[in-house]
Amino acid sequence: MVNPILAAHDLHKSYDDVEAVRGISFDIQHGEIFSLLGPNGAGKTTTISMLSCLLAPSKGEAEVDGHSVTNDADDVKQSIGVVPQEIALYPTLSARENLAFWGKMYGLRGERSKERIENVLDVAGLSDRADAKVETFSGGMKRRINIAVGLLHEPTVLFMDEPTVGIDPQSRRRILDTVMELNKQGLTVLYTTHYMEEAEELSDRIGIIDHGKLIAVGTQNELTKTVGQFDSMRIGLDQDGLDGEKLVAALETIKGVHRAMLENGEILIQAEEANAVLSRIVTTIDNAGGHIRGLKIEEPNLEAVFLHLTGRALRD
Amino acid sequence: MKALQIAWKDTLTRYRDWKALIGLLGAPLIISALIGLAFGNIGGLGGSDSPITDIEVIVVNLDDGVLGENYIEVLTSDDLDDLLNVRQMDDLEAARMEIEAGDARAVLYIPAGFSDRLIPSGVDDEAVSASVELYTDPAANISPFIMQSIVEQITAGANTILLAGRVSAEQAVGQAEILGPALANLGETINSELQPENFDFQTEKLSLERTEVGEAVEGINPFAFFIPGMAVFFLMFSMFDGSRSILLEESRGTLPRLMTTPTSTSQIILGKMGGTFLTGLLQFTVLVIASTIIFGISWGSSIPGLITVVVLTVFAASGLGALLTTFAKDASQAGAIGSAVSLTFGALGGSFFPSENFSGALNTISRFTVNRWAMDGLTTLTLGGGGFSDILDEAAVLGLIGLVTFALALFAFQRRFVK
Repeated sequence: MVNPILAAHDLHKSYDDVEAVRGISFDIQHGEIFSLLGPNGAGKTTTISMLSCLLAPSKGEAEVDGHSVTNDADDVKQSIGVVPQEIALYPTLSARENLAFWGKMYGLRGERSKERIENVLDVAGLSDRADAKVETFSGGMKRRINIAVGLLHEPTVLFMDEPTVGIDPQSRRRILDTVMELNKQGLTVLYTTHYMEEAEELSDRIGIIDHGKLIAVGTQNELTKTVGQFDSMRIGLDQDGLDGEKLVAALETIKGVHRAMLENGEILIQAEEANAVLSRIVTTIDNAGGHIRGLKIEEPNLEAVFLHLTGRALRD
Repeated sequence: MKALQIAWKDTLTRYRDWKALIGLLGAPLIISALIGLAFGNIGGLGGSDSPITDIEVIVVNLDDGVLGENYIEVLTSDDLDDLLNVRQMDDLEAARMEIEAGDARAVLYIPAGFSDRLIPSGVDDEAVSASVELYTDPAANISPFIMQSIVEQITAGANTILLAGRVSAEQAVGQAEILGPALANLGETINSELQPENFDFQTEKLSLERTEVGEAVEGINPFAFFIPGMAVFFLMFSMFDGSRSILLEESRGTLPRLMTTPTSTSQIILGKMGGTFLTGLLQFTVLVIASTIIFGISWGSSIPGLITVVVLTVFAASGLGALLTTFAKDASQAGAIGSAVSLTFGALGGSFFPSENFSGALNTISRFTVNRWAMDGLTTLTLGGGGFSDILDEAAVLGLIGLVTFALALFAFQRRFVK
């Protein structure tokens, strides 16, 4: 097997009494898109911060492009591009001035700097707005410049921490397309998200993270196989006067139902065979006073995997 | 190198923010103009609304003649009542000790026989030179200048009368044979005319003095005090605000992002502190130029002295701003600390009122502020007409404050941000 471009070994990070990351190990191969999928507060940003030398691990080690994050921070920083969750730009500077400044921080000078700035402006699709102040940009445009900064010095690995948070669907689509295009050109990407759909669409492999622990790693197929024997059902309900907890408890007593849970006005059910239990489920809901608005039987997905592994929905 | 780039970026972003520009440049000029106009001309000396009042002056008058009395009459006249608090003593050494103790700002010494030396008793007597001596508080910047101006005016007035009298007497004696013996005692006659009740140089010259002092001492233009005062006051604000930007960058994510680049933490912090310093330097320089053009104030004749005081004031203020920011939990707390310290230092340090007016304890406390040393240095140059060698003490203290606070802030920020 080829040496991975990134390898994390038993990474821990504690703040006083709080253990934010509790022994995470994984590796990423050259040219891969690897996603860390987990709910808010799962430890994704802390993990990416340790890998980008922003935080020192309390325990454990990681190497990026052959350099230790604890001993060769400068080499690691030169190898990585970081796209933080925040719009980490200077709003009163233009897009070009922002890029020029960040380029200098990566040691870019002269013609090479100009060349790279034009290149990443093109990637971001903002060449025509290069001289406008960033504060005049829409949220999506800011996100794109935020990504462009991470690409300036042609990193070997790009760390993207929830880069689509808070933007419109069109901008999100554009960002996802950009990530896939960059990956096609050979860029390795470590991507964190709590959106299951993004992880499914982008990733070669996915690590599911919860409460500071990596609870599963694999391709989407490998992960969904862990819940392969179950069908997933999503039932939309009018909940007026409905005792949700009592209904969930009643549903879980149905033979063939593996797990049931209430989430955002919907009931998620994992069952051995959906068709076999469907009528009893409907009856139970009806008896409980619930009114079904819609019902969908889904192929096993990462949501189901997360539910299966943690007993909670990904959005909890 | 990267530190310089960060510093320049910070300066650029600050000066592109029009709200920040108002605080940096507009407010000091506008407020100085308003206060200066409200107070009128400090050269008016002693107006009830003058910011300089009650200068403690001791007169040691050992002269028993008319001239000594004239000095006292002028100094204690109604026109100078608000400006000066005049006391008389007999012992010069004791009076000088009062200056050292901070209880007086100036001592005017009129030696014994002063009048006799200058006013000959007969036509044949030769007048000899004589002088009064003025002792001033070396720690004071404005009051010595004012006292010197007043005493010079009184002396000049007396000289004029004496000269006029002597010329007339000599001319008369020269014409004695022609004019006859009736004029033989003209000298005595003229000298007898030099009695206070017979000429009115006290009031006449004093009224003239208002103009003359104003002309001779164009530095006692209200703007010459208020603009440096406001410049230092607003500099403190902008230095705290500049230092606060490091915490703002932390919360907005640009500081963590900087730390993911191959740029050392010390370079980043130096760059941030350097940016604050550059901003302050540019702010003060623009204020000096603008106030010279708009208000016509003189910043003194010593360019090296002015550059030294300005650079070291900005250095000390930015260092202090950075150090106090390290104690803040976040940017808003840093803002509150900065405002409180800026206002306190402004009041205690002589940005609003001349530190000349401060009593002993307040005077001592004010020496713990950057503003006081900056104002002392600036007023020495602007109002006192001092040169480079006159601001060395202030420069040394400001430089020391800057060095210590910069070093401590750098250390504290590194501890804070390296996690």
